[in-house]
Amino acid sequence: MGSRNWRSLLAAVLTLSLFAVACGGSDDTTEAADTTEAADTTDSEEVDEPAAASEPEPEFVEEAGGDFLLRPENVPTDDQRGGVVVVGYAGAIPHTNGAVSSGYAVNTVGPQVNASLLRYNDDYQPVPYLADTWTIADDGLSVTLELNAEARFHDGEDVTCTDVDFSIKTSQANHPFKPMFAPVTGVDGGDTKSCVVNLSQPHPALLIAFSPGLLPIIPEHIFNDGQEMKTHPRNSTDVIGAGPFKLVEFDGSEVVRFEANDDFFLPGLPYLDELIFDLGLDPATVTLGLETGEFDIAAGDGAHGGQVVVDALEDPNLRVSDKGFEAIGSIPWIQLNLRDEVLSDVRVRQALAYAIDKEAYNDVIAVGLNNTAQCGPIQRNSPYYNPDGKCYDFDLEKAQALMDEAGYSDGFSLTMNQSQANVPTMELIAEMWAKIGVTVEISLDADFPDWIAKTVGEGTEFDATWTTLWNWGDPVIGVNRSYNCDNRVAGVAFSNMSWYCNEEVDSLLNDAGLEFDDAKRAELYYSAADIINEEVPVIYLSNQVWYTRMQKSLQNSPESIWGFMDSWAEMWVDE
Amino acid sequence: MAETDVHGMSDGQELPDPHLDTSRLRQAPAKYQGLRMFMRNKAAVFGAVLLIAILFITFILPIFVTGDRTERVGSIHLAPGAEGSTTFGTDYLGRDVGRIVMQGGSATLKVAGLAALVIVVVGTTIGAVAGYYGGWVDNVLMRITEFFQVLPGLLFAIVIVALYGASTKSIVLAIGLIAWPTIARLVRAEFMRQKNLEYVKAARAIGASDARIIFKTILPNTMPVVIVQSTLVMGGAILFEAGLAFLGLSNPKDLSWGFYIGANRTYFLSNWWGLTFPGLMIFFTVLSLSLIGDGLQDAANPKLRGR
Amino acid sequence: MKQIAVRILQAFGLVLAVIVLNFMLVHLAPGDAVDALAGTAGEMSPETTERLRAQYGLDEPVTTQLVTYIGNVLQGDLGVSIGNNNRPVTEMIAERLWPTVLLSITALSFAILVGVFVGTLAARRPESGFSHFTTVFALVGFAMPAFWTGYLLLIVFSAKLGWLPVSGMEDLRFRGGWFAQQWDVAKHLFLPALALGLIYIAAYSRLSRASMLEVLESDYVRTARAKGLGERSVLFKHALRNGVIPIVTVMGLQFGAILSGAILVETVFSWPGVGRLAFEAVVERDTNVLLGVLFLVSLAVIIANFLTDLLYRFIDPRIRVSGSANG
Repeated sequence: MGSRNWRSLLAAVLTLSLFAVACGGSDDTTEAADTTEAADTTDSEEVDEPAAASEPEPEFVEEAGGDFLLRPENVPTDDQRGGVVVVGYAGAIPHTNGAVSSGYAVNTVGPQVNASLLRYNDDYQPVPYLADTWTIADDGLSVTLELNAEARFHDGEDVTCTDVDFSIKTSQANHPFKPMFAPVTGVDGGDTKSCVVNLSQPHPALLIAFSPGLLPIIPEHIFNDGQEMKTHPRNSTDVIGAGPFKLVEFDGSEVVRFEANDDFFLPGLPYLDELIFDLGLDPATVTLGLETGEFDIAAGDGAHGGQVVVDALEDPNLRVSDKGFEAIGSIPWIQLNLRDEVLSDVRVRQALAYAIDKEAYNDVIAVGLNNTAQCGPIQRNSPYYNPDGKCYDFDLEKAQALMDEAGYSDGFSLTMNQSQANVPTMELIAEMWAKIGVTVEISLDADFPDWIAKTVGEGTEFDATWTTLWNWGDPVIGVNRSYNCDNRVAGVAFSNMSWYCNEEVDSLLNDAGLEFDDAKRAELYYSAADIINEEVPVIYLSNQVWYTRMQKSLQNSPESIWGFMDSWAEMWVDE
Repeated sequence: MAETDVHGMSDGQELPDPHLDTSRLRQAPAKYQGLRMFMRNKAAVFGAVLLIAILFITFILPIFVTGDRTERVGSIHLAPGAEGSTTFGTDYLGRDVGRIVMQGGSATLKVAGLAALVIVVVGTTIGAVAGYYGGWVDNVLMRITEFFQVLPGLLFAIVIVALYGASTKSIVLAIGLIAWPTIARLVRAEFMRQKNLEYVKAARAIGASDARIIFKTILPNTMPVVIVQSTLVMGGAILFEAGLAFLGLSNPKDLSWGFYIGANRTYFLSNWWGLTFPGLMIFFTVLSLSLIGDGLQDAANPKLRGR
Repeated sequence: MKQIAVRILQAFGLVLAVIVLNFMLVHLAPGDAVDALAGTAGEMSPETTERLRAQYGLDEPVTTQLVTYIGNVLQGDLGVSIGNNNRPVTEMIAERLWPTVLLSITALSFAILVGVFVGTLAARRPESGFSHFTTVFALVGFAMPAFWTGYLLLIVFSAKLGWLPVSGMEDLRFRGGWFAQQWDVAKHLFLPALALGLIYIAAYSRLSRASMLEVLESDYVRTARAKGLGERSVLFKHALRNGVIPIVTVMGLQFGAILSGAILVETVFSWPGVGRLAFEAVVERDTNVLLGVLFLVSLAVIIANFLTDLLYRFIDPRIRVSGSANG
């Protein structure tokens, strides 16, 4: 699918909710013209996903293959239902509570045991999940949710507004993405199923923040016991959620085992009997296990990609998907530490950017698997991405000229740190920068805490590091954090690690976060991106396409816009 | 409790247990000795040639082979001899596997050599002092030795290197800490045996100091044991370093053999050469050292030839 | 008896010393479990960090923490895992101990059985081709890095031939009776045990060959032969019984080392053992888990040494602890 296509779809969906608010206040129909049919609903005060809008609400839940399905066209027959899926994953899973962690692993298993308020379909449209309906108030300062009447936790307790309120509060206090729910002042409704989410200011990014990987609804009656949420025992033992699967075994470094929740509130789901995550594997073992059929699907491929994907393409039993994870907007980049004396010179940073052969990067690291160029802080699938932004196309002459200008004709040396898994990337970058006389000392981090200590520690220990940051659906959630002056905080991973600060950028990003008018919002992001591109706090390497390897027999594999970080209730195996 | 820590484990047979009455092992059928000695020496000579070849490949050959080993010479994952490839294939970045493996030993051999040096110096000194003085000195030193022997070998080394950073210093220290007791015990036993021999008594009679007797009189006579043991310690240290590097605990710039195996393992199904060649180098290096050690043992202690 | 009491006392002192060293080593390193937790969670406010440090007593002076820790260990309490939502460390280790013990014992018994058999046969004809083969075989097995051997075995038996499973200790989707389940575990066990055992096969074949060579020259074997007993009976009944003494000793002494050494093989085969648990604990800076494993493995070595010592006295009363082998 071409990026233009994506852009219009994304535009349609993201603006859908925004328009509801905007038009509720002061209708500005001229804007509606360049969006798609989503605009048709803007004169209605209540905004559902479009298909449901014309139906009487209470009925759609009962419909067979109802609107809650993302893949209504691929439903198993009774004979095909059931079965077991085994996932191979090289990493570990610390727990299942996505309300306190933005980790990929946590938010892959989390949505299996926990339900969320909404899901998103391939067209970036919200789909009912725990919330049957969602209505944004005229002034944009509240959202009314009607929760599914059947929704219960695994222990039989009803899911109520108290749980929604508690979940949002937990996220506010513990989740790294502070902007997600910062404007939320509270949730009214108590032990009923009609909730009102109150906001201190209009918040365009709120609905996407109701996604499975961002806000699991966790049971207040279990967790509200005064214990520390980040280390709460019920995050991993005896877990109670409202999701499609029940957790039956949890050893985060070995195996996590789910069985179907027979009382799941969406009828007919989940299709599988059992879902097993085999963890802590050697990366080579995952590949071998897929080949021998031990695993149905490999998790975490996106991070590796490359040759293993090419190999899988040749295996007649395997399928490789490049779908899923679109909303994440995964951008590998080189983070530069602006506190370093040499790197504080913008010309040096520009020189380093010009010296990176991004095509070679993609050829080697991604084995030429059409990872696309990324020019600027906002991922290219987003409507706010400026395709004409400054790209720093590979140009050694320009790079050398800038080095000369900055007074580093003879080059200099810097250290680059990352973990063992990323050695190839660092080796490649070192090789490229050597051509303009920059010597890279590769420094291996023993572990993730070590990386954090070096990169966001108190001092200025690192010069450069390779990392991948995600856009997380909306720039407010995933982009601002890397550039805001007040996000220069020691000790917080994925904060403003470059220690970059430009007040103009700050105010542009801030204004954009409040702007409902999509064109205006894009304009603001364009301007911010231009400045950031010129000042190069980070060097963007590509927009990563995530590949997933799986058996051909696997149906409805996790390929939504959130990829693995979504409910797997619709997955089944065609034996 | 004599253990050579290798693979974080012990190769108990290489060293007689101190509780073990090795004198009982020293008889062998005399009529085979000549033939066996020949066989042994041939193996030892082969080992020596092998080691020299490896040292040549590691330290001398790179001088004549131009070009940086980190340079990308072709497409990625090209099989040995394939079109556009090199003799030993290319790796995940398109670098020449042969060139990298060729130089990969320098770091490993350096670390292993330093570690062996530390082990031999510390082990010999402590063993000599304990064996010579006996009594409470021996008792205290042996308790200390015992303490280091119960530390869980490889695991302990991993903790040190992971927590304090993977530098040559920390790796040498980690290997050294764990492996010195073996040699200390051997030297101690040897000192206990020799300190009452006539030549030592004679030295004492002419008024030589303890230090002189230990280092100038007895130590040279224990050298055969120490030298034999050093080759084995060296082999063990190479395997140890390789194990640590395989887990990512080494300086990545060195691209040592163990580290390179670790880096290539993800692709081992389609790229066997990236894994096989560095492994073979480790294998041949340790094998050559073992062969030399075996030969030296025979030469140094003909009574043991029957083994 | 008095000597045994002294040994027990010494062993106790040793355990204490090991705990102190491990504790200081881990706690003096930069960073702690709360840092790691903040890392995996993506973010943590300074207040939460402070609160957690206080909760786990990490804000106290190291010496105070050490005293508390030793007190707890003496009561059999190894603390909770900070990285795993306060799971008791004893529980986590208990889960992982059996796979490692199973792997180690299998590898060791496999190595001893094959090694002793081959070594004994070689000792019968010290100059035969077979005998030389075992010598070379011993060196070869010793020189191959176990993790490398593991990959070669995986390529051949799992990838190319497809005979054996790739990873773990059991087929996760397996459903079947008790026997079928054991068979399933056995299939998973084969390759890792082989990779680990190869080094020891080599070691034991050499050791038993040397030991048997000597025993076969002894008087009582000559007597047995003179009595007209069959060669097989002499070899495996009379000689082996005595030749096996040094093997038992070495086996006891190796057990602790093999427990920690299994970590590389566990990594290659994703075997759910303590070695990998410890390695993960290092990575996550999960102090209590790491200290727990280090402590238990050291304890295993101490106990194994102690038992071997006892056993050895029992088998051969001539041996005295203070005596030297050659003295």
